[in-house]
Amino acid sequence: MTTSADMTGTPGERAEQPPDADDAPVRGLWRQGVEVFCEDRLALVGVAIFLLLAGVCFLGPLFYHTDQVHTDLAAVFLSPGAPGHPLGTDGVGYDQLGRLMLGGQTSIIVGLAAGVLATAVGTVWGAVAGFVGGWVDAAMMRVVDAMMAIPSLFLFMLMATIVTPTVPMLILIIGAFAWLGPARLVRGEALTLRAREYIQAMRSMGGTGGRAVRRHIVPNAIGTVIVNATFQVADAILYVAYLSFLGLGVPPPAANWGGMLADGLADTYSGHWWLLYPPGIAIILIVLACNFIGGGLRDAFEVRLRRR
Amino acid sequence: MVRYLTMRLGQALIVVVLVTVITFVILHVLPGGAARATLGKDATLDQLAAFNHDMGYDQSLVRQYFLYVGRLLHGDLGYSYQLNQSVTEAIGQRLPKTMLLSLLSTLLAVVVAIPLGVIQAVRRNRWPDYTITSLSLLAYATPIFFLGLMMIILFSQVWPILPAEAPQGFTLGEVLSDPAGLILPTITLAIVTIAVYSRYVRSSMIDNLNENYVRTARSKGMPEWRVVLVHTLRNGLFPVITLLGMYLPALFSGALVVESLFNFPGMGRLFWQSALKRDFPILLGVTLIISVATVLGTLVADLLYAAVDPRVRLRGRAS
Amino acid sequence: MSAPTDSTDRSRPLLELRHVSTDIALRKGTVHALADINLEVQAGQVLGVVGESGSGKTMTALSVMGLLPAGGSVVGGEILFDGRDLRSLPPEEVRRIRGVEMGMVFQDPFTSLNPTMRIGAQVAEPLRVHQGVGKAAARDQAIEILRRVGMPRPDKIVDDYPHQLSGGMRQRVVIAMALVCSPRLLIADEPTTALDVTTQRQILDLIDDLRDEFGMALVLVTHDLGVIASRADRVAVMYAGRVVETAATADLFRAPRHRYTEALMQSLPEAADHDTGAKGRLYSIPGLPPDLSRPPTGCRFAPRCRFATAECRTTEVVLSTGDHQHACLHPVTVPAPAPISLRPGPAVVPTPAPALGVREPGERAPKAPAILSIRGLVKNYEAAGGALRRATGQVSAVAGVSFEVHPGETLGLVGESGCGKSTVGRLAVGLEVPTEGQIVLDGTDIATLDRRERRLMRRQVQLMFQDSYAAMNPRMRVDAILAEPLQIQHVGDASARRARVTTLLDQVGLSRRVLERYPHEFSGGQLQRLGLARSLALQPRLIVGDEPVSALDVSIQAQVLNLMRDLQHELGLAYVFISHDLSVVDYMSDRIGVMYLGKLVEVGPAHEVVRSARHPYTQALIDAVPSVDPNAVTRRTDTTIRGELPSALSPPSGCRFRTRCPLATETCATTEPPLTGDVHQVACHFPLRVESAEAARA
Repeated sequence: MTTSADMTGTPGERAEQPPDADDAPVRGLWRQGVEVFCEDRLALVGVAIFLLLAGVCFLGPLFYHTDQVHTDLAAVFLSPGAPGHPLGTDGVGYDQLGRLMLGGQTSIIVGLAAGVLATAVGTVWGAVAGFVGGWVDAAMMRVVDAMMAIPSLFLFMLMATIVTPTVPMLILIIGAFAWLGPARLVRGEALTLRAREYIQAMRSMGGTGGRAVRRHIVPNAIGTVIVNATFQVADAILYVAYLSFLGLGVPPPAANWGGMLADGLADTYSGHWWLLYPPGIAIILIVLACNFIGGGLRDAFEVRLRRR
Repeated sequence: MVRYLTMRLGQALIVVVLVTVITFVILHVLPGGAARATLGKDATLDQLAAFNHDMGYDQSLVRQYFLYVGRLLHGDLGYSYQLNQSVTEAIGQRLPKTMLLSLLSTLLAVVVAIPLGVIQAVRRNRWPDYTITSLSLLAYATPIFFLGLMMIILFSQVWPILPAEAPQGFTLGEVLSDPAGLILPTITLAIVTIAVYSRYVRSSMIDNLNENYVRTARSKGMPEWRVVLVHTLRNGLFPVITLLGMYLPALFSGALVVESLFNFPGMGRLFWQSALKRDFPILLGVTLIISVATVLGTLVADLLYAAVDPRVRLRGRAS
Repeated sequence: MSAPTDSTDRSRPLLELRHVSTDIALRKGTVHALADINLEVQAGQVLGVVGESGSGKTMTALSVMGLLPAGGSVVGGEILFDGRDLRSLPPEEVRRIRGVEMGMVFQDPFTSLNPTMRIGAQVAEPLRVHQGVGKAAARDQAIEILRRVGMPRPDKIVDDYPHQLSGGMRQRVVIAMALVCSPRLLIADEPTTALDVTTQRQILDLIDDLRDEFGMALVLVTHDLGVIASRADRVAVMYAGRVVETAATADLFRAPRHRYTEALMQSLPEAADHDTGAKGRLYSIPGLPPDLSRPPTGCRFAPRCRFATAECRTTEVVLSTGDHQHACLHPVTVPAPAPISLRPGPAVVPTPAPALGVREPGERAPKAPAILSIRGLVKNYEAAGGALRRATGQVSAVAGVSFEVHPGETLGLVGESGCGKSTVGRLAVGLEVPTEGQIVLDGTDIATLDRRERRLMRRQVQLMFQDSYAAMNPRMRVDAILAEPLQIQHVGDASARRARVTTLLDQVGLSRRVLERYPHEFSGGQLQRLGLARSLALQPRLIVGDEPVSALDVSIQAQVLNLMRDLQHELGLAYVFISHDLSVVDYMSDRIGVMYLGKLVEVGPAHEVVRSARHPYTQALIDAVPSVDPNAVTRRTDTTIRGELPSALSPPSGCRFRTRCPLATETCATTEPPLTGDVHQVACHFPLRVESAEAARA
């Protein structure tokens, strides 16, 4: 084997200058991605809101103790600022702030779990369809088309009438039907990636399909999947709210923001605004936060591949 | 074009068949089976057996499915013992009203969203873009019933100019005779749609404004309004036509919530009330009809797209 | 108004750029795309603006037209059109001038037309908007101008949409559109770069004719020195946002003064010594052009210049005065010794090609057994469609191609897009399965091998891509990319692979520090080096290069070509070198095969094929290549081919070239000519130069 010492030709000519980014520090893709993400102020705001809301909901009850099981009919509809109830109480005497924390836990847990479940199911379905191709792909995608043709809220409600909507059931119901979007997305991604020249290059070296999936397709598709997952979480939180509004949410004494908001609707005309706006704003904030994070992640995954 | 047409029709047919399979399956996983779901929990075992025999539910599953489809093809969606009415009739009374609501809000959304998206694209990364983008994101993150409630509080309580309840007419004509009552539901349903459409128009316009043909138009000395409105807008709006179809499921989901909130006598409210009463024949019937409407709507949108875009219309017909 | 009123119309240039500077604001920092540009175009004159990518040639054109991309703006100087400064005129007036008095033709005809507007409407639009011509009259004028740009059936084409036309036809439409208001100045930015060479010839001839007919001035922006040499009156050479030299075309090509111009010409494959058959190394400019967000002081070429002194790096050099202007402290001394200084002198070629690589043509071919032997190769693709995916026809991509490649030799495959040359390459490396025919690797028909054996066989033949960036996983580091072939083939353990990877980097002249970097951090030339390194990893005996230098600038191309030849000599590699560029193929190859519509129409020793072509298509291809020799007569011989490439869905019967061949007879339509001949083979019923070929044989 030749080494640089016995190369023919003029070494000075052959040795081209290293990339002029050479004076720039060597940075991994993760580092670069994180840097891009951190430059996106909206994304950071999203992370901050999400962490804040999650922190209050999950850690708050450790410091702020309330009884969210037993009703207290002596203390119904107390206005905010009442002693011991900074955000007032609702129609059965639950402390509103404590209830917000409890409801937030449900909303966030269902949102996250359903979002992750939907993404996982959708990714597998779409990936199989995209890789196998042919009539398998056609059959699998027609199933997706058919399920997508049924508006999702109708499906969720139908399911919620059949089974009792506990928290795990909600996760299962939403996850079981929200995977269609990710499935389409991942299939499209798999089809594009499969045709990429670097896959061909690998095949021309004798590489197998398994290697293409492991080393090339999965690492390149993962960004799209993660970004989509954040949007799935946002959607799942909204779906729980809709189901609760339509009377098919988790039954009390469990709570979620959507259910609290729906209950608050009934009190609008009686002027109990503290039962309406806090859960409403909380839902808007957490959904916004998820969307901001998703947008930032998308840029982070894209920008780090941008050529100079 | 002809080939595209047949292919797209075939796809739609397959999807509709699959939808009937799904509703059929749901019918059978219902607690207590189809008979119990139809007749209610007070029915006796004899009644259940008789019903099962009448409907052919004591035969093989495949045969049951074909019997089911056969009934569907004859317009027989079942009978609601709770409403004491055939499902077809119950839906038939309400479907036009839901279609009216959906159509009105889609029209409103298109009319508002296109100019918004164009303005955003032309003034991108400047204050008009940022403002509209923020509002869209906000609208998208707000539960539609909360949004509707805000509208009610604003326009029928704080500033009482519009009724908070939708018209309760029995026929389409009666509903239309009370247009003021339609305003809030239509706007509420349209707002989220506007948010989605304007984002889409924006990105489609930005993509097209970066195309080389736009530079060519400028090189011909075309005024900027002509570059945007004549050259770019047409290309930018073609994909929006398909979006109209793709967005239908979300639109109908939104209509379900809006109808329930404003007490609008459409299919969504029927579905909601039936869900609370566990009136399964209605639930499945509405699900089937709304899905077929979605498939048809998407099909129309796709064919419309194919008809207006010369690249699809004239595919494979070189001079 | 700032226009000079003292000069008369006659002496005043039609277009004059004075100290024009253009900036492009990016999210981070500003690119100073143009710095102090001075140019003049007289009425009726052709100014060629030539430079490599990033030199600012396109930015100059866009600055004049006022079409700079987002963030771009002219920040200084004057752009005088007919004495009026476009920068200080009201926008309405500038728009009118742009639409009526100037016209522009863009590089990519596939994207520069509005896809949903009828051709007629697009062509007539300037008339309607600027001159208020009525609808019917505008349509008639559109038909007329389309006829003048050589569109067949213009009265039908006006109602067509762009996607119904071929690239060449679309470019004619763009030209018609630019000319419809009879402008006084036409700016053509790489008007033929996206087109095949025979189409390029047609379009350039058309522009020439129309320029005479309309009496307009032309600014021809291109990277291609050949195009400039044959078409321009004057030439401006640009480098890194500056004009470094400007002169009458003949002067410039006869005696370039600036060291950059000189180096650029020496980098051309045509500059290599042709006659001996043993082609020397090309001069290649080391390094990369500067980053224009931080332009260097002094001469911008100094960091890459062989003659640069300390003074060059500190002194701002301005253009000299006179007819032949240059901005160089150490210019090439005049007069140049040779009438055409394209042939490199001794100083330019420091080392002749290493002795072991020098082979006399024809001497070695039959001796060693072929490393790759292709016999009767056929590849058809199903043109599928319809709901049931019925085959609606077959695209005949490769139709019975046979050739051999011997160890250590380079076979060049040349042809226009759609001729099947890339498909042959992909078949050879096993990326596609042939419909018919044999691929024999090192004496073994690969169809007879099982999967495992076939995978081992892959080591022998590797593929090098045109766009190495696309061919590398963007999320893998260089070390992983280069080690991947070794992993796939289970060669060595981890440390052996690491050692092999560093050896590969040394071989292609890249620093070992790049191991931790990602593909997007490299320039085009560096990426091709990486691509070459990866294809070398398994120590193959044959590398199939599919347009391996086509995306590179001339000076970078020379670096890669030299490297490929060096490695060939060191490692005894054979190449199948696929390219549309005849001069590059000629430089690289021992033998050349010419393909047309899936057929090999001619194959033989490189110098014979290029200098005494026997197939009319080959001759047409050669004639279409613009020569860098400005004295060469641009012949319009009877071998100039017209018309369009037929569809491979239903290729012509008999000889596939007959529909465009000036010599075709009825025989050509009925009988397919076989590939005949000994060393120099041709598939033609009426081959050219029969007498000389027979004389040679006698």
